[in-house]
Amino acid sequence: MEKKMKLKENRTSSIVLHNLLIAVLAFIWLIPIVWLLCTSFSAYSGMNTSTFFPKEWSVAQYVKLFHPDTVAQFPQWFLNTFVIACFTCVISTMFVLMVAYATSVMRFPMRKPLMNMAVILNLFPGMLAMIAVYFTLKSFNLTNSYVGLIMVYSASSGLGYLIAKGFFDTVPRALCEAARIDGCSEARIFWQVILPMSRPIVVYTVISSFLGPWMDFVYAKMILNAGISSKYTVAIGLYKMLDKSLINSYFTQFCAGGVLVSIPISVLFVIMQRFYVEGITGGAVKG
Amino acid sequence: MAKKESGNVILAAVRGFFGAIGGFFSSFGTAVAKGDFATKLSLLWLGAGYARRRQYVKAVIMTVLEAAVIWFTFGFALNYVPKFGTLGTVEPEVVFNIETMQNEYNDFDNSFQILLFSLFSFVVWFAAVIVWMKNVMNAYELQKKAERGEHINTFREDLHSYIEEKFHITLLTLPVLGIVVFTFIPILLLIFVAFTNYDQNHMPPSTLFTWTGLSNFLSLFGGGGLTVTFGYAFVRVLGWTLVWAFFATFTTYIGGILLSVLLNSRKTRLPKLWRTLFIVTIAVPQFVSLLLVRNFFSNGGIVNTICANIGLTGFLRNIGLVSTSYIPFLSAPGWAHVMIILINIWIGVPYQMLIATGVLMNLPTDQLESARVDGARPFQVFKSITMPYLLFVTGPALVTDFVKNINNFNVIYLLTESVYTTTNQAMANSQAKEVDLLVTWLFRLTQDYYNYKMASAIGIIVFVICAVFTLIAFNSMIKGDREGTYQ
Repeated sequence: MEKKMKLKENRTSSIVLHNLLIAVLAFIWLIPIVWLLCTSFSAYSGMNTSTFFPKEWSVAQYVKLFHPDTVAQFPQWFLNTFVIACFTCVISTMFVLMVAYATSVMRFPMRKPLMNMAVILNLFPGMLAMIAVYFTLKSFNLTNSYVGLIMVYSASSGLGYLIAKGFFDTVPRALCEAARIDGCSEARIFWQVILPMSRPIVVYTVISSFLGPWMDFVYAKMILNAGISSKYTVAIGLYKMLDKSLINSYFTQFCAGGVLVSIPISVLFVIMQRFYVEGITGGAVKG
Repeated sequence: MAKKESGNVILAAVRGFFGAIGGFFSSFGTAVAKGDFATKLSLLWLGAGYARRRQYVKAVIMTVLEAAVIWFTFGFALNYVPKFGTLGTVEPEVVFNIETMQNEYNDFDNSFQILLFSLFSFVVWFAAVIVWMKNVMNAYELQKKAERGEHINTFREDLHSYIEEKFHITLLTLPVLGIVVFTFIPILLLIFVAFTNYDQNHMPPSTLFTWTGLSNFLSLFGGGGLTVTFGYAFVRVLGWTLVWAFFATFTTYIGGILLSVLLNSRKTRLPKLWRTLFIVTIAVPQFVSLLLVRNFFSNGGIVNTICANIGLTGFLRNIGLVSTSYIPFLSAPGWAHVMIILINIWIGVPYQMLIATGVLMNLPTDQLESARVDGARPFQVFKSITMPYLLFVTGPALVTDFVKNINNFNVIYLLTESVYTTTNQAMANSQAKEVDLLVTWLFRLTQDYYNYKMASAIGIIVFVICAVFTLIAFNSMIKGDREGTYQ
């Protein structure tokens, strides 16, 4: 009896220790995020270097964010990024789903060679083609234009088809056969049979291609390099706020902007993760 | 043994590739040899075969296409391709035009346009030759059909086939075109620029640049007398790139697995809450979180204040690790290298945790159950079942991660740009820093110093390094083609 009690005590203490360890880790992981939140509510516009928490709390910096000056034009940046993200989202979702469907459901002679080439191209990061893309866009006068940026984000998106293909692979072929016998064309099978069944992966693709431009820094930095504040995306705008000459008057606004842009992105990101898991596990059950 | 097998697979792939090309040419040959007059005529007039079989719309389309290629060749390509060998010889000059009584520019050459448009013309011509050969084969097919007295499709039926048995062509055309224009042609262009002297002293349109052979690579490897420093900087940067990629890959990989095992343990209370807390760090865009952390650890930043207050700075100065009044977390070699890897753990472990969690959910539970019944301790289960399974599933991805980390631009650039200044004169001469990766160096060379020739040469080196690791990954993926092992 006594031994059992002791065992149980042992178990409880090990559970407490276990959860305490996780709590400590989570605490470390969240320190910078908490600092971001707190600093954004500071009354002082520069960087507070003496205390962790701001000395005076206020929402003044959030208010300032919506009253743009020549440097900080947050609403304009937000709008720019939103427009770019919408176009990119439509084009790359189409490309990804089209390539995934063609390689998963259709059978044609070039299928294997194309997929092998995609594997090789996929393993070379897009970073390398970037400077050459920049040369090319420059000679067509497409730098500092949203058209160029949208093209860069979405043109090669077909290469990221593997996750969606993995999902389409699990959709039972008998369904397609049945539709074909009923006289359905291949295009209608795609639109009216497969796509409605693939909601998780469609949502996942839509969100991930919408998030691309919001999360990106490099391409925007390279292509929007003329230094006109009203044309920036959020990423470039916030980056410019931390220039050595500006950081002392804009650091808190940077934090406020960072919080504002992070909230919708985080929400979308978490939703995307859920659909991803649903797509993977749902697929496994069906297959 | 396994190596031999994978070698055979690659060999088979190569053989298959050349076999397919051979097949293409031989069926083209048959079509030309056995074709009737219309088929042979379609060698010259692309629409001939179709016109003979009364497919008039197709005949018109092919004729227009042929005219377009001819117009493209004479109206556009021939302005540039003949100058491809020299990349232009006519410097821009201002001359006085007697007719308009004004100073005007002469008809000068633009080296970059010559290079780009020649390349573009080559790609178009290559595609045109394929279409030309394919077209003759199609004409021969039609001829055979007509001889057998089979039904020949009307244009409407042909169009309909693009949503039926040829639907994949409809689906793939645009995405593939996008990849060719925005990934394939740029890489070709990059390769060509590496063999020219395109830099700030040779900037079209005001000046020309030309072919210089291997001289960029020579100076990169320390050969060319003028730029010995480029060779020095290259070795330093390459070394750090590989060290960084190694540590960044393994720390986050191991950390991610440990964290996911910790969170998925049955002892964990509220696992969903904890997981969400960790995900928050990666859901915040990197340009926010990394720029923030950079200021968190800056020379006059909050962490330095705290360290000074608790006496850590003084202690480090006493033992000689720090010579300044602050701790140079991100502004001195050594310190910055370690900090970058630590901060990368912060940002990378939750990602790996997500991936490992997904894999762990599919862990075959019967093995775990039987191990438990046999009285295995939790650590033994982890060591003998969980870990081998994880390694089996995610092993090939490790190599891919390594390649990705070689090109991990964001972390390095956002953490160190305009914070870290090098004190090493030899590095500064070639615009490099101790904390640069090859890609950030390349980015700075193009964006701030217009040194396109060296940037392209570095790009090719990165390409080769990635290709080597890619081949390893490819091989081990083929080797790991034992999907049955865990089913």
